[in-house]
Amino acid sequence: MDRNQRPRSILESLGEELIAILTPVSICMFTVVLLVCVLNSDPSSSSASFSSIATAAYSETDSDSSWDKFVGAFLNSLVFVAAITIATFVLVLLFYLRCVKFLKFYMGFSAFIVLGNLGGEILVLLIDRFRLPIDSITFLILLFNFSVVGVLAVFMSRFSILITQSYLVLIGVLVAYFFTLLPEWTTWVLLVALAIYDIAAVLLPVGPLRLLVEMAISRDEDIPALVYEARPVIRNDSSLVQRRVWRERRSSQNDIENATQDDARVVRAEAEEGLVAATRERSEISVPLINQAENSETFLEGIGLGSSGAIKLGLGDFIFYSVLVGRAAMYDLMTVYACYLAIIAGLGITLMLLSVYQKALPALPVSIMLGVVFYFLARLLLEVFVVQCSSNLVMF
Amino acid sequence: MTIAAGIGYALVALGPSLSLFVSVVSKKPFLILTLLSSTLVWLVSLIVLSGLWRPFLPLKANVRWPYALLVISSVCFQEALRFLFWKVYKRLEDVLDSFADRISRPRLFLTDKLQIALAGGLGHGVAHAVFFCLSLLTPAFGPATFYVDRCSKVPFFLISAIIALAFVTIHTFSMVIAFEGYAKGNKVDQVIVPVIHLAAGMLTLVNFASEGCVIGVPLLYVLASLTLVHCGKMVWQRLIESRNQSSPSR
Repeated sequence: MDRNQRPRSILESLGEELIAILTPVSICMFTVVLLVCVLNSDPSSSSASFSSIATAAYSETDSDSSWDKFVGAFLNSLVFVAAITIATFVLVLLFYLRCVKFLKFYMGFSAFIVLGNLGGEILVLLIDRFRLPIDSITFLILLFNFSVVGVLAVFMSRFSILITQSYLVLIGVLVAYFFTLLPEWTTWVLLVALAIYDIAAVLLPVGPLRLLVEMAISRDEDIPALVYEARPVIRNDSSLVQRRVWRERRSSQNDIENATQDDARVVRAEAEEGLVAATRERSEISVPLINQAENSETFLEGIGLGSSGAIKLGLGDFIFYSVLVGRAAMYDLMTVYACYLAIIAGLGITLMLLSVYQKALPALPVSIMLGVVFYFLARLLLEVFVVQCSSNLVMF
Repeated sequence: MTIAAGIGYALVALGPSLSLFVSVVSKKPFLILTLLSSTLVWLVSLIVLSGLWRPFLPLKANVRWPYALLVISSVCFQEALRFLFWKVYKRLEDVLDSFADRISRPRLFLTDKLQIALAGGLGHGVAHAVFFCLSLLTPAFGPATFYVDRCSKVPFFLISAIIALAFVTIHTFSMVIAFEGYAKGNKVDQVIVPVIHLAAGMLTLVNFASEGCVIGVPLLYVLASLTLVHCGKMVWQRLIESRNQSSPSR
């Protein structure tokens, strides 16, 4: 009764943006874990290996010694990272040559392949697992429709943002599931290698992702890539209008940004740029560790680029977080929880760093490192301890 | 047993926390963050403890004193950590208050503070249930179930879920008690929390006796309900007090 009269407490608005990015990441990880648990519990089909560029140099067999596995995994991830680097440079080159149309179509095509091919394969596995009766024609029609809607939702951006976001998460889930089919050692070495690659690509002056982001900023365009944007789900007007508004304001605000670098400590993410004045009262989300406030118009430029000021997270980060958790799920549920918490903590740390440095940061390294460390800690230390305690019904 | 049993066990352990999460925590982003960080703190404490005890494991199954030592050391460590958690929270509260001043919003209400404490406690409790009960539940989803010799009347998964529920309750509400105790400098509340925690840990040692769980588990529940009642009384008192304080000025 009292509650209605008094003003909203800050607890209700603080950290909204963080939760907006944590929720989809959690959903993605949870779905991958569920898929891994459901599809790999069948011992007969667990040997399903899939060969790709990530196993080009070496394919793991159980009989190899640890050293052989490590060297092989190292070579595999070297090949994979090299392939990614080349692909990203080609992307940068195309973007530099302003082949944005081509890039868009290519991305749409690859999204279609992911949804249609990988999604279809997983659906077939699920149908097989649960013995659902469905004929192939219906299945194909449904799958085709589903994929086409997905491509349109991701690349036409006229859909409700909820649909776009869920398709992005779904693409992440599908790709992540297939990465969990890699052999064990390769997965771990690959994750670490990718984390290191991520640092290099985003922070080095010639890193491809950094070039891409800088080019996109200087040209005021969106990056033609799969990027999850944690925008508020409920909005008044269409996203196109808002983006335009944002772009116009942006150039003027860059000047202010430079001028107020001293108190650039404050993170303000204006969710809806068109309504800056109106939202000033209610959209202050911030990392409250940092003190001087006032109305400096600095922006939380997201992990990646925020075209509307919201936090943005590349889909690759989604995928590799989920790969880590999914791989942990093959061992035990305990390692899953440990890795999940570690990844979330890493994401939190990255966002803190983001508020300090105010530029695009790699999201993989902190989370992946923490995740890997916690996985091995949980596997080597925690499990024995917990099993010892709880199998004797001793708890505390 | 099958999936239904597995889900059932999980819900026995975590159902109340789930409803608490949905009804209180999930609406306020900051509380979710508090919950996550407190879960992480608990996990880290567990990892440190397991690192400390790793050289001595596995313990002999029929000797009781190493387990007592284990429980005592763990409880001491976790209570020390709780105090640290409180210190961090205290600083955070100041930051939040000054932040609220800056954007001309009201400072933290009493209920807000209690809710933060609740979310922190819930994080500890959930982490406990997840690691001691849920993580061992995987076999429960398959066919068959599992009994231990010392508690032969009840399936192992069910009994561990029931014990976990008691601990979730104790952890959740003792955090509220502890935070209030620290805030008001109330020595009784400060002391009662480690005592309850230690007593609860010790009570699980009763399970070592053959069929000891018949006695141990009800006693554990007595302790859990004591915590709950004490917490309820204390919060009620505080709410009445704060209303009496604020009503003349309004």
